[in-house]
Amino acid sequence: MNKLLNVAQAVPRQFVREYAFKSDLKIKWVRPEKIACYKPEKSGDLSKLPPLKGDELLPEFRDCKELEKADDTVKSLFLLSNNANYLTTKHYRDEMVKEVQRHAQDYGSIEAKLANMTALIRRYQERMESHPRDKMIKVRLKELIDKRKKFLKYLRRWDYPRFEWMLEKLDLVYKPPPERFHWITRKESLQKLTDSYCENLKEERLEAYHKQLQAQQIPFLEEAIKKMEFVRNEQISCDVPVTVTEEQIADSRRQLAQLKELREAEETAKSRKQDEDSFN
Amino acid sequence: MNVLPGYLIDFRQIERKPARQFPRFGPPLHDVLELLFVGIMASRGLLLMGQCMPCIKQNASKIRIRRMQLDKNLNMYFKKDEFYFAHDPQKVCKTGDVVLIRELPERLTRLITHAVEKVVYPLGDITDPLTGKKVVVGQYREDIEMANQLFGKSAKAFDYDKAPPRGRLEGTKDFTHGETYIKYHEDGKDQPFAV
Repeated sequence: MNKLLNVAQAVPRQFVREYAFKSDLKIKWVRPEKIACYKPEKSGDLSKLPPLKGDELLPEFRDCKELEKADDTVKSLFLLSNNANYLTTKHYRDEMVKEVQRHAQDYGSIEAKLANMTALIRRYQERMESHPRDKMIKVRLKELIDKRKKFLKYLRRWDYPRFEWMLEKLDLVYKPPPERFHWITRKESLQKLTDSYCENLKEERLEAYHKQLQAQQIPFLEEAIKKMEFVRNEQISCDVPVTVTEEQIADSRRQLAQLKELREAEETAKSRKQDEDSFN
Repeated sequence: MNVLPGYLIDFRQIERKPARQFPRFGPPLHDVLELLFVGIMASRGLLLMGQCMPCIKQNASKIRIRRMQLDKNLNMYFKKDEFYFAHDPQKVCKTGDVVLIRELPERLTRLITHAVEKVVYPLGDITDPLTGKKVVVGQYREDIEMANQLFGKSAKAFDYDKAPPRGRLEGTKDFTHGETYIKYHEDGKDQPFAV
């Protein structure tokens, strides 16, 4: 029995390698570089915080008349830049909230919350740039970014006009999360690239064939008109029932004229485009 | 022959359920009814209500019809989505809108089988059907506005009257009109929908 099986299997057949198939297409895959989650490119912040003006006083002392009379050393003690870091953060948060809040007392609406978070996120991002190993801030920053994204998702569902206005005001980008999570692998990426390559090839060839057929249209119609006229004349001269009517010939002529017009318009558009390109 | 232990014999006698993807013989009654229902729907062109999904096809919108399906094994209902492509040359419905679609008498293309009848609820711009007032979550817009006026409305605050219609930020700041994907290839070009 075993011997028989061996004989059956020994029949030469085409060798197909199914496992570890390697395509011979010259597609080069470049793995995208990983961007840290807290970076502005990922978090969707398009702009940074405005730089602090040099003469910004602490908010409590802005209308202080005594301070106006005081000398420069005393004044410098009340500058934001010479005080604790959290006070500058607070200043930024207040500034940002004031831009979007509904009324002067509003710090709890979704707009105010989003503005507050955005100011904090941008402040932390500055911090991460100068201190990339600060783990505490990194964690807080990531949590804040995720939370802001969630709030934006809610706001979009609740109130679309306000959502768009907020994106404009805070200069944010909102991208919905992808359908499913997956790790980026060489195999899957190459499969996708190959698919898109094949799709492009198909489109290109179809387009080329379409062009080829279009080029045949005008000569075909000219030929057809000639033949129809010939047949009609012959039928009339031989006294046979006429099968080709004047209308049919006129129809074809009209079609031909239309086609020629169309082609001319396309040509002029193309030449104009080329001129513009060369001019640029 | 050895006599098998009792529990093994019992185990063999139990009928195995066929896997879900294989056709079952003698489908249960409610499956038949569902099939019949779908058949009637196709012939009459009945209406379906669903949510608009991001779609790259031109002249068409992808509509998700969500139904609950009973899992008899767990005796629980689970969501089951069906997707239809509805003819929509003017792009009336945007992603997230709840729309009514009607079955076409014959399919327009290989994919398009329905036509968009009406946008029932535009996303984030809900009108209360009873009073005809605009609503945000649990409150009328009027009420929110009134509270703002009482507190002294800020000049910079958002105003509904000045807000342009949806869609001006598409492709610049708001990328919800398309499907995003995890970036898998660096080709030097800008990939707006890559995350």
